[in-house]
Amino acid sequence: MLKIIIPTIFLLPVILLSNPKSTWMNFFINNLLISATSLTILKPQINTEWKFSSPYTGLDHISSPLLVLTTWLLPLMTLASQNSLKKEPYERKQLFLITLTLLQTFLLGAFCATDLALFYIMFEATLIPTLIIITRWGNQPERLNAGMYFLFYTLTASLPLLIALLTLYNLNNTLLITILHFLPQNTNPPSTSFFLWGACMMAFLVKMPLYGLHLWLPKAHVEAPIAGSMVLAAILLKLGGYGIIRTITMLTPMTKTMSIPFITLSLWGVVMTSLICLRQTDLKSLIAYSSVSHMGLVTAASLIHTEWSLTGAIILMVAHGLVSSALFCLSNFNYERINNRTLLLVRSMQLIMPLLSTWWLLFNLLNMALPPTINLMGELLIITAMFNWSPPTILITGAGVVLTACYSLHMFLTTQHSKFSNHLASMQMTNTREHLLMSLHMIPMVLLMFKPELVWSGTY
Amino acid sequence: MVNFFQFVREHWIHVLVPFGFGLGYYLDRRSDAQLTDYRNKSKLYARELKPGEEVTWR
Amino acid sequence: MHPSITSLLLIALSTSTIITMSSYHWMFAWAGLEINMLSMLPLISKEHHPRAVEATMKYFMTQAAASAMLIFASTINAWQTAQWDISLLTPSTPMMMLTLAITMKLGLAPFHFWLPEVSLGTTNSVMLIITTWQKLAPLAIIILLHNSLNHHLLTSLGLLSMVVGGWGGMNQLQIRKIMAYSSIAHMGWVVMILPKAPDLSLLYLMLYIMLNLTMFLIIISTALTKLTSLFSTQNKSFPMMILMALTLLSMGGLPPMTGFLPKWLILQELIYQHQTQMATLASLSTLLSLFFYLRLVFNAFLTTPPNTSNVTKNWRNQTNHHILLPQMMILSLMLLIITPLVISLF
Repeated sequence: MLKIIIPTIFLLPVILLSNPKSTWMNFFINNLLISATSLTILKPQINTEWKFSSPYTGLDHISSPLLVLTTWLLPLMTLASQNSLKKEPYERKQLFLITLTLLQTFLLGAFCATDLALFYIMFEATLIPTLIIITRWGNQPERLNAGMYFLFYTLTASLPLLIALLTLYNLNNTLLITILHFLPQNTNPPSTSFFLWGACMMAFLVKMPLYGLHLWLPKAHVEAPIAGSMVLAAILLKLGGYGIIRTITMLTPMTKTMSIPFITLSLWGVVMTSLICLRQTDLKSLIAYSSVSHMGLVTAASLIHTEWSLTGAIILMVAHGLVSSALFCLSNFNYERINNRTLLLVRSMQLIMPLLSTWWLLFNLLNMALPPTINLMGELLIITAMFNWSPPTILITGAGVVLTACYSLHMFLTTQHSKFSNHLASMQMTNTREHLLMSLHMIPMVLLMFKPELVWSGTY
Repeated sequence: MVNFFQFVREHWIHVLVPFGFGLGYYLDRRSDAQLTDYRNKSKLYARELKPGEEVTWR
Repeated sequence: MHPSITSLLLIALSTSTIITMSSYHWMFAWAGLEINMLSMLPLISKEHHPRAVEATMKYFMTQAAASAMLIFASTINAWQTAQWDISLLTPSTPMMMLTLAITMKLGLAPFHFWLPEVSLGTTNSVMLIITTWQKLAPLAIIILLHNSLNHHLLTSLGLLSMVVGGWGGMNQLQIRKIMAYSSIAHMGWVVMILPKAPDLSLLYLMLYIMLNLTMFLIIISTALTKLTSLFSTQNKSFPMMILMALTLLSMGGLPPMTGFLPKWLILQELIYQHQTQMATLASLSTLLSLFFYLRLVFNAFLTTPPNTSNVTKNWRNQTNHHILLPQMMILSLMLLIITPLVISLF
């Protein structure tokens, strides 16, 4: 695992020592190099054993797709924010890149930690770079408020997690994930298991976010700069899902009863947030709510914790990571041109930028889970697993799928079609960087369509 | 010759990340070797690997 | 003030603390505390203006009252047990009185009001002495006595001052006052864990002193006074502001940095002793302090020009970087990595 983490740390001297003119390029190239080397992790494996393991780190079929997603998206984040940082002084650009690098280091640490204490530290450590990205490089003054919301929602929920982890350590004398699965947990008194379950799950449910605890997410997304939105939607939310999948196995006797209200709430959230999406006026906020809705499915699936639902959760996490990040990029292209996020002001883009319109179409189709895509695979697996868990859920998940298609179409039609207004006439054309960015989002999606077992975890 | 030095001065920075990769790879290999040593010495886990079988932690 | 007088006072200050720490007899401990207070007074009133005199008076009143209570407690103890040894404080009445006296000396919650007030009247360096060195002597006494003290009293005082320190600092605009409230909150942690694991409370104290020293070195070298003056400091020394922001987050106890280390260990110890509720309360109370640290962080570098700031620029004083600053900065940010080494020191 160190062969990915150490080069990531070595990106810091690359940023600091590069020639000012070529810093971005050097950073981007070297970062892509790291993501290329990390692709070897995806080597399909049939058994569910740990690989690349060392005393503190290790990867299995759950964490490796997410880890590759992390390394893949970081260069894309730099590529996406290149234009918006163009006018900043050089020192601040360096600071931005340093923040991104630290964020990547912490995320890698979180995904490959086998010790839950290390996982917790890394999980919390990602907060600071994200906070800095949101509040330092956001555009409106409301970003301070959004940063506060982000930090305090996640911290309030994750401090009980620390207590729960320390309690687990006290009960079992170890926090290694590899060992904790095999230790019997049904010896605790019921009240202890109850609080343990709540404290362990709450931190991740807020991070996911669960419907009802999701208020920080649209705020943070709307105010964050493009890099912040991308990393939030693509990776930080997945950290929550990953955490649920990891910790729920050691809380088994309680999960059967305790998880029911949360599954209900998250499924309800799928429908509700999709409905909220239909009446959004703010493009970024719409995409943010759409991630809440997709993450609701993932939450429900990881709380059921069957083979099928887990597979579906991981596939949907990877697919949604790429798609939502691409959608945020697309909305940022509009934002960079007319400095506004309002849906009504950016219409009939098809006339001005037809090529960009193609990208919009493709990613909207992916977002609504059109047949050959892995989004569909993920959603189908989750829906099937939910149906198996309780047949009436088909109504809610079905409604969720329909509504997802509705708001994706709504987003596409409002931005690309309808009446042309004159203030858009003098818009800048798309450039190669933007198309490269979109292609780098699209290529993994297409390739995963052909070989889904790369993220298909252990169950094919 | 001058061009070569110019080239080195401009692009030496790209050595850092591959060097980091090499360092990490070396450390990974060392940790693997340690785990193998541990496995071979312990009474509980020591056994002959089947032909073509990989160790589980690589 | 003449340098020789200052050095005399500083020598008296340090000697008296050492007298208190090493004393076996209550009278000596008391005398040490008194000398300590008396040598502190001229330092506080060094600046010749009414605020400094007011601060001196407040400091004098509270510390003298606390010392009087301490000598009173030890006299009652001697009267009841015919013993002047520090380690033998068995009766409950003098024990309570002593705890309250020490609480007053440390600036713990119900008796904390003097600390923010004094902090406004003094200079930054004197405030640094009050929030670090002045905690040592009273803490030495209660660490000596930690077995015979009332655990519930100390624990509830600790929890109370965590919450009060967090809540009090939220509304403040003066940086020194914020640091005073942060000191109250941190002392709460030290005292809360003291009856259960004195070595951990010592560890917390040391790390707090380190973090506080870093913060005050930054404040002194950039001449910060108000929250708004942080805006103009950005122009003078931007990297320092970033590091200050990180140090503040470290004080707030966010994980990858030093501030998380003592909190983690304390929470672990509490859970080991089956006091999960208290651990939860204590950990959640850090959120209160984190709120005002975060306000400082926002002003320190997250709202940099050319973004809008509605504050007039101050006169740019020259920034004198203290020679200790880089080392302290590294220590106060990166110590979590070597946690086992840090634990083994205590």
